[in-house]
Amino acid sequence: MLREIQQVLRFVQLLGKRRQQSGLNVKGGLLVLVWTETGPSVQSLNCAVAAAGPWCIGINMKALQPDLKECMFPCACPCLPPDPEELCAFTDLYGSLRLLLTFQMKDASPEWCARIETFLHTYSLANAKIKIHFKFKFSQQTFQRDFSVKIKNKAGGNQRPPECVKKGCWCQGGHPVLGDRLPLSIPPAAMDQGLFGELSIQAVTLLSPCVLQYPNLPTQLTHIQVLVYGPSNVPVTGPSTFFQNLPAHLDCQEVGLHGLHCSSFKDLVHSGGTVYTVEQENCEDPEQESSPAPIRQSLLLYIFLQHSDPFTYQLSDMMATEVLIERHLEDILNNNKQAVTKAVQTELKNTLKAQNQRKKNQQKMRSAAEVILGSSLSIVSSSSNMDFRNACLHSMKMSDTYDLSASLRESLRRVTSWKFTPKNICYSAQVEEYPESDEPTRTEI
Amino acid sequence: MSLMGSSVAELFSAIDKLRAELLNNVEVLTDCQRVEGEISHGEILSLIENVILGIVTSLSKDEAPFLALPDRSNWANISFDSAIGLRMTLGSSVTTIRSDCPSSVTKFAQILKIFVVIYKLVQSNSYATKRDIYYNNTQLFGSQKTVDSIVDDISCMLKVPRRSLHVLATSKGLISGDLCYMEEDGTRIDCRSCSAAAAVSSNIAGIRNIVSHAKFIMIVEKDATFQRLLDDDFCTKLSPCIMITGKGVPDVNSRLMVRKLWDTLHIPILALVDADPHGIEIMCIYKYGSVSMSFEAHSLTVPSVMWLGLLPSDLQRLRVPEDVLIPLTKRDESKLSSLLKRPYLASQPEWQKEMELMQQSKVKAEIQSLAAIAPDFLTNIYLPNKLRYGGWV
Repeated sequence: MLREIQQVLRFVQLLGKRRQQSGLNVKGGLLVLVWTETGPSVQSLNCAVAAAGPWCIGINMKALQPDLKECMFPCACPCLPPDPEELCAFTDLYGSLRLLLTFQMKDASPEWCARIETFLHTYSLANAKIKIHFKFKFSQQTFQRDFSVKIKNKAGGNQRPPECVKKGCWCQGGHPVLGDRLPLSIPPAAMDQGLFGELSIQAVTLLSPCVLQYPNLPTQLTHIQVLVYGPSNVPVTGPSTFFQNLPAHLDCQEVGLHGLHCSSFKDLVHSGGTVYTVEQENCEDPEQESSPAPIRQSLLLYIFLQHSDPFTYQLSDMMATEVLIERHLEDILNNNKQAVTKAVQTELKNTLKAQNQRKKNQQKMRSAAEVILGSSLSIVSSSSNMDFRNACLHSMKMSDTYDLSASLRESLRRVTSWKFTPKNICYSAQVEEYPESDEPTRTEI
Repeated sequence: MSLMGSSVAELFSAIDKLRAELLNNVEVLTDCQRVEGEISHGEILSLIENVILGIVTSLSKDEAPFLALPDRSNWANISFDSAIGLRMTLGSSVTTIRSDCPSSVTKFAQILKIFVVIYKLVQSNSYATKRDIYYNNTQLFGSQKTVDSIVDDISCMLKVPRRSLHVLATSKGLISGDLCYMEEDGTRIDCRSCSAAAAVSSNIAGIRNIVSHAKFIMIVEKDATFQRLLDDDFCTKLSPCIMITGKGVPDVNSRLMVRKLWDTLHIPILALVDADPHGIEIMCIYKYGSVSMSFEAHSLTVPSVMWLGLLPSDLQRLRVPEDVLIPLTKRDESKLSSLLKRPYLASQPEWQKEMELMQQSKVKAEIQSLAAIAPDFLTNIYLPNKLRYGGWV
């Protein structure tokens, strides 16, 4: 079923590409409905994928060639159409349907819901122009999730600030950083299957949440997630052995990390892509532990596969090429192992350079803070000027120099840690009370 | 015994005339008026406490503390007063040292650390040198230069002379001639030794009981020239006189000493520097002060300093051999142009002429070049004639 949804998205994206529609200006909606149907002996999973809006202009399903359908969904079984009311709500938002495809999967389990959700989420991370509506009905229960972002002239998002942010401005967006493009050589096995042309990968990194406006806040990278997309910007499905094994070949010290290890298979399935957990440094210094809790950040590493072949221009050929690339992806990556590893190393190093500098700055600030506090308190303690001593104590609302010491320390830590420096590139929104919500966090470009 | 058998009166007639002119033109302040600038221990402690209170107050308002240091290197903060020299203007621009910025937090901490040192020195009425302060915490300060600079910043910020902060600097200057005085600790200094010079004191403010019959004071730019004059027994031949050197760019103590001698003795002060832009600049520091210490100009400058030699016009007049003349470098020319634009040159047309002559001839010369005329030319001919016939500008 995932494959079918993937194919639909590829179809629409490649069609748009052929029409040379520029990415950010083309919007639209995607509806994915999944419902269970209990038959005489098996439980089937039905899926309807509908698309509407400017992004799929030019699609005429009635005129869709049967062989294309066959090519897109070789294993799909037909199924009953979805509830018209569901479609009405969708068309009300995006206009008349341009695409509606239904298929059925037998012997399916509700676990597929999670996999579809993850896939759609991963898709939305690189295709922010499309609003995705996912609805899953199982027995009497309905699960619904929408994926969307507000697009401004730069990437924007709707990110919940870290819990420790009580008030002040917080950047709601992300700042993707374009990395280098790396040409790849196509392995012979893939060539034998018909994969030709020029293949390359384009890396993009995104560190979130953004703390650029708080230059003194400590941060801690906890996870790195690698997401791979095909040439049509549709995510590649399934875990990648290459990326799972990648940490063993990375020079973590050069990057500035203690270590990386790949998350479990189960986690991989549900999180999309490959997730690494970052090993944390053991903090032996009690002073460091008393600092504000570091803001936990995760790094998204997008790997966009790019392909061009002047002899591949038919839509069906382009879709077949994408399938081929995905099928041979492990082979391709292994064939270019050294180069890809080096490229990933470089991207991580460049991204974490700023983080590592931040750590050094924090060490500097901590050392200096000790001297500042020690010097100030030394003068207060040794002064025989009662007016001066009392003025200091009253100012901080303390009764003695011992309490004054603790109070000054806390105050200095607070004002320096939470220093706010507005940045033009950040989407600063005033952090009000964030209401408790069951809505899952939406993290998008 | 004066040089060449001439009477002392003849030898120093021009000097005496100069002195009379100086005394007529320059307002002479008595010692007690000079002392009025001194600040009490309590006042210094209060000034430091105010800084700390400012920091505590900022923190009480949840604001990051900062320190505002007057910008001592900016010409825009300098004005020229012919009676004083280069002085810092009121309301000059400041540099902000923030405690919440990684690029400045270390300096903030260093400044506070030195505040504590000064506070304790003043409280206990003891003294320390800048070197002591550095070696007490080399890791924090990193270099001696950092300590030196921060001490001067604090002096400027609090508007208190460094010596009042109980921080001393090791002097590098030397002094010799008809001069005796007593240091603050009671040590008697007699500079009349023919063969060795005395080190300039580290505590000029503490000098008492200055006794001298000197007719003039000669500032010598370089130690090499100073030693040569010492070897040639200059102070005996041109007795009574005093000569002092700061060994190049003078330290504060050497400048304070010159100023103190002027305030006490009111005798002409003549500068003997190389005929090059660097020498002229050094002479200007004695006379008009420096940008970085402009906040203390009133106690460091001696606007009455005269340029005795080596003048660019002397090179032509004495027909100094061309092979000892050195072409001006690009840097020399640039410095010369810069000096000519300094605000104080406008009141020194004779100096301007000499410097323009150097610009046109495009050559410079060290004092040692006079040895090309004769080995003892400097001590036995050049200087005595200059002094006798008023060859200063």
